[in-house]
Amino acid sequence: MSLGPRLEHNLRIVPFNWMGRAIQPRNKALKRDSATRSAGEAQTRIMGGADTGRSAVDSQRGGIAVIGSDGTVTWTDEAWTSTDDQDDLPRVPIGANLLDAYRDYADPRTRAIASAITAVFDGTATYFEIEHRADRESQTSFLTSVAALRGDGAGVVLITRVVGGREPTNRDRMPNVRATGGQSAGNGVERLTPREREVLDLMALGLDNRAIAAKLGIEYTTVRGHVRSVIEKLGARSRLEAVARAYQGGWVRKP
Amino acid sequence: MTGVAPAAWPELPIPSHASLLAWGTDEIRDVSLSFITQGLDHPDEALFCFGRPGIGELLLRDLERRTGRDLSSDHREGRIVLGKSDPDVDRQLENVVGPLETFREKGFRVVRFIGIVAWNAPDFPPPEDFLWFESKVTEVLEGSRVICLCPYDIANMPARAIAYGALEAHPFVLSGGKLRANPLFIPPDRYLRDRLLDLPRLEAAPDR
Repeated sequence: MSLGPRLEHNLRIVPFNWMGRAIQPRNKALKRDSATRSAGEAQTRIMGGADTGRSAVDSQRGGIAVIGSDGTVTWTDEAWTSTDDQDDLPRVPIGANLLDAYRDYADPRTRAIASAITAVFDGTATYFEIEHRADRESQTSFLTSVAALRGDGAGVVLITRVVGGREPTNRDRMPNVRATGGQSAGNGVERLTPREREVLDLMALGLDNRAIAAKLGIEYTTVRGHVRSVIEKLGARSRLEAVARAYQGGWVRKP
Repeated sequence: MTGVAPAAWPELPIPSHASLLAWGTDEIRDVSLSFITQGLDHPDEALFCFGRPGIGELLLRDLERRTGRDLSSDHREGRIVLGKSDPDVDRQLENVVGPLETFREKGFRVVRFIGIVAWNAPDFPPPEDFLWFESKVTEVLEGSRVICLCPYDIANMPARAIAYGALEAHPFVLSGGKLRANPLFIPPDRYLRDRLLDLPRLEAAPDR
């Protein structure tokens, strides 16, 4: 789906009266869009599949705004102030802009986003989040996730938009999978000892070290050593990255 | 204290693991101190302050200054314990499990656990490991007498920290003085599969 250059921005809208706080408004009061699309779609979690990609190659922090119960959007946040001069941020009312842009496209996911935004403006949803992977050059944007939370008619809206990047690769789709200095992930798993493979299997099931120790009947400190070794041999920076590599490489089965 | 902390604390289920959506460090401090004070007013409650090195000490010093209390004997006697984060996520989990087990053995009726979270901080686990930690805490608390509050600074933390951590890894959310069951919560047995394995590259997000 192509959303065009006017959506090449990163917008984050965060709460207002969920916090019950008065927030100093800036001078960008935006009128609500009067759309009355059904909020039902907005309450449904939609997760992008592998085809939509999940790579965040580059990202920017966005502005923070307050949405009033009448749908008025007021920018409040220093983050927005600091990004005011960036060319890729919109100069037109954000809410209406997003709605119009999303509505213009027939893709059901895009329409669902429009519904989610409308639901928030209508006060029937309090939170939703959008995440995109976008390719600036081709102006192609991939929806990667949408989450919506129905609430009490007031609250939080988060919109995260990732700009810039390239076509996602399999590696991009996994968390924190980084280059390993020429060493392929396959080589990494081949270097694991049988015991480390067992430990990796249990890490992939979400077990912590103590649970792994109990399961294998070995000492906690021994497990810690194995886990450290697995992370290192797989060229990961973290436990979860090692697990992600294991799933990516097909070395373990999804729980 | 300012008027940010709830005048009357909502009834927190035992056990519970709640995120606090707070706007900036002032609100985090005010609500945290209010949460702590509630517990210290009851002699059969214990307090576990967890977070980056030094944060617990800061909170307690602030509390002493504001209320005139002397917490040194509570600290000495193990009614108040300060826990530290660790870049190794499993060690961080151990830093939580150990003290909570000790509190249980000592027979405290309730343990108040304030966990000041950090995101992409050098002395904290990396974001994806931290999220796993948050999910494991829910599991660790099952069947315990612990009420755990994890403040998230929505004015300064990136959106993904709020979405995946505060909202998806906590069964309850406290905001504006109100406690709500969290419909976005993903139970620990599904969090790894449904969320963590499908995360975008967290480190790509510039954090403050």
